[in-house]
Amino acid sequence: MSAVSPKPARARLSMPSGWWGMALFIAAEATLFGTLFATYFYFRFSTAKWPPAGVPEPKVALPLILTGVLVASTAPVFLGGRAARAGNVRAAWLFFFAALLIQGGYLGVQVHEFTSDLAKFSPQDTAYASIYFTMLGVHHVHVALGMLLELWVLGKLLGGLTSYRLTGVRVTAFYWYFVSAAAIAVVLTQLYPAL
Amino acid sequence: MASIAHPEALRHVRRLERVWSERPGVLGWLTTTDHKRIGLLYLFASLAFFGAGGVEALLIRTQLLTPHGTTLSPAAFDQVMTMHGVTMIFLFVIPISTGAFGNYLVPLMIGARDMAFPRLNALSFWIFVASGLFMYTGLITGNGPNAGWFDYVPLASRTYNPGSGIDFYALGLIFNSISSTAAAINFIVTIFKLRAPGMSLNRMPLFCYAFLAVSFALVFALPALSVDCLFLELDRRLGFNFFNSAQGGSVLLWQHLFWIFGHPEVYIIILPAFGIATSIIPTFTRRRMVAFPMVALAEILVAFIGFGVWAHHMFSVGLSTITTVYFAAASMMVVIPSAIQLFAWLTTLVTGTPIFKTPLLWIIGFIVFFIIGGLSGIMFAAIPFDQQLTDTYFVVAHFHFIIFGAAVFPLLGGLHYWFPKVTGRMYHEPRAKLAFWLTFGGSALAFFPMHIVGLLGMPRRVYTYAPGLGWDIYNQLETAGAYVVACGLVLLVANLVVSYFRGEPAPPDPFGGATLEWSIPSPPPAYNFAVIPTVTSPYPMWDVADREADERKLEQGVMVLERGHETPATTVLDADLDEVLEMPSDSAWPILVALMLTGVFAMLLTGHLVPMYVFLGLLGVTVVGWHSVEPEEA
Repeated sequence: MSAVSPKPARARLSMPSGWWGMALFIAAEATLFGTLFATYFYFRFSTAKWPPAGVPEPKVALPLILTGVLVASTAPVFLGGRAARAGNVRAAWLFFFAALLIQGGYLGVQVHEFTSDLAKFSPQDTAYASIYFTMLGVHHVHVALGMLLELWVLGKLLGGLTSYRLTGVRVTAFYWYFVSAAAIAVVLTQLYPAL
Repeated sequence: MASIAHPEALRHVRRLERVWSERPGVLGWLTTTDHKRIGLLYLFASLAFFGAGGVEALLIRTQLLTPHGTTLSPAAFDQVMTMHGVTMIFLFVIPISTGAFGNYLVPLMIGARDMAFPRLNALSFWIFVASGLFMYTGLITGNGPNAGWFDYVPLASRTYNPGSGIDFYALGLIFNSISSTAAAINFIVTIFKLRAPGMSLNRMPLFCYAFLAVSFALVFALPALSVDCLFLELDRRLGFNFFNSAQGGSVLLWQHLFWIFGHPEVYIIILPAFGIATSIIPTFTRRRMVAFPMVALAEILVAFIGFGVWAHHMFSVGLSTITTVYFAAASMMVVIPSAIQLFAWLTTLVTGTPIFKTPLLWIIGFIVFFIIGGLSGIMFAAIPFDQQLTDTYFVVAHFHFIIFGAAVFPLLGGLHYWFPKVTGRMYHEPRAKLAFWLTFGGSALAFFPMHIVGLLGMPRRVYTYAPGLGWDIYNQLETAGAYVVACGLVLLVANLVVSYFRGEPAPPDPFGGATLEWSIPSPPPAYNFAVIPTVTSPYPMWDVADREADERKLEQGVMVLERGHETPATTVLDADLDEVLEMPSDSAWPILVALMLTGVFAMLLTGHLVPMYVFLGLLGVTVVGWHSVEPEEA
């Protein structure tokens, strides 16, 4: 791990193109989640009993704890981004590695929960289960995507820092803030029938 | 900068030519990241799809020429009709407007040397082509989508539509929207970040405002379609219950999500036309656009209001009265920004000194058809009227006046307007005018009788009709009109092809245009601008002193940026020079990524999950390969 610092440049007046690209990608992604939430409540408000008969109420404690863990993992992501901007490649690498470990643990438990839920009630039985599993599944895919971005950042940081990679670090962090925010929205949507 | 005499200037230009040259031959086209070449690729591909969609239109009209027509079987008619709609919307109008016109012209108009993400731009193109071929594979193998372009369930559900046609549709559109989303993000960032120094937002050409509005609409509209198609595939393939009302699902959910995408889509289709109109009108009336800020805001407002009117496509499905009334009122609101633009064009025309060359003729044809289609659009905002005439040919008349008359005419006018810039040749004016009049007359003949036959009760989307209903003569007129349109379009294309080989050489600025693309040679060099221009108004070509200053800068070597693939980035609002960006050069990764993604979708369609994962892995490998080449090193 060499300690090449980013190109010495004067302070930018505005955000780099990569940041704008990620901001707009997140806007599209947020709309995608918004469509899922809208579908959930569209079904909810046309059904008297929610969740429908024969479907267990959603768990409360474990999903909230897991979401807390995922949101907490934005702390090392943030610190990693800050370290990279300060030119401290080694610290940035370690912070992102720590975040990746936490998120990997999160995803592992979530996938286990997903399959055990599938054994209890099936999306082939009710519209409730269809949107429940689809919303969760879509979010898990986003977590996995965010982890792949972090893996890429980790690989790139091994070769030192360039302004291109610094933008990469920055947008990866940005993406994680979004994935965490989406996790909160997903968990609150799905928990509320049990509260 | 037509002729460069100064030896210092010549040295800079030679160096830029060397820096920006790409691979020669076919390989060069496959790996290009030059926005102009990608724009041309988009143009040729979308025109090819336009040809296919046009043949489908002629097949439909031939089938409906007489009662009990036998040109197409009912099953074939359904597929041809569906693919006509899908093609014209997803594979022709959007790619030719954003892909071809936007790609070629937006960077030139804002004084940039490329798009913000050149490799992503190439990827958008290759995914678009692949998704188009993907959906056409269905039609060619006899498994085309057959439930109309809006693909309502339950007709599109597995129970009533067991073949793979709908899967081609749903997966094809998800595939296609990856391309459009990437392209839209690319346009917004390009317009935000790469404008020439001095081109603050209030000095940006109205053309770019239109494309900015379109791109934002695409970013926020397409996810609804993708999610809808995902639900449909989950229902069809895995037995989910999104659209199964027996298990708490809803068939109306499909319609809501589809039109949440589909109505903004209408404005996505027409806004580029507005942008082209606001480019052509000032040039051929020799004056600035009337009410520039109002028109800019109206363009954005149209895109915005477009998100709040979707249920006016659903007045007859049994929504509550309060819902329908809300959507009727919201739909009426669209009149306001549309009228602002219409009156701005008309006032500019009336108070200027119009020169009736072919591009302006197409714009005037556009205004005429936009008024006709707009008026019938207002009629549909009246709920009882809509409930009476929904699903009749009156609707077909309305949206063909809008989509063909209003959205496509400016594109055809734009083809002539920018033909000299792109090819370096002038088109043949008398033949071009003849092609316009044929197409204009043919369109009126093809689409106007549809109003009458709709009022007489002829339903849309039927493969045939019985004699003795009083519909025969109108159908014959429509079919005749369709063939006249076809003749006009063939003449148009033939004229442009002949002009490409035999036309007079074109000067850099044959029409006295107002925007920056006319400041550079025809056809433009790979680096676009030898000197990055400095802009002080939305009509930079009419600021003669500024352009002379640019020429002096070339001699002094100021703002030439010749050390690599360099283009300046500026601040978002004021366009103050911020930094000099190093842009990527030609790359084989975009086409490889698109190929792997095609593999993923093809395997999803055929249900081969193991090869699908293999392609997914290869997709990951190609994406990593892509990012192994950093722009600074390229």
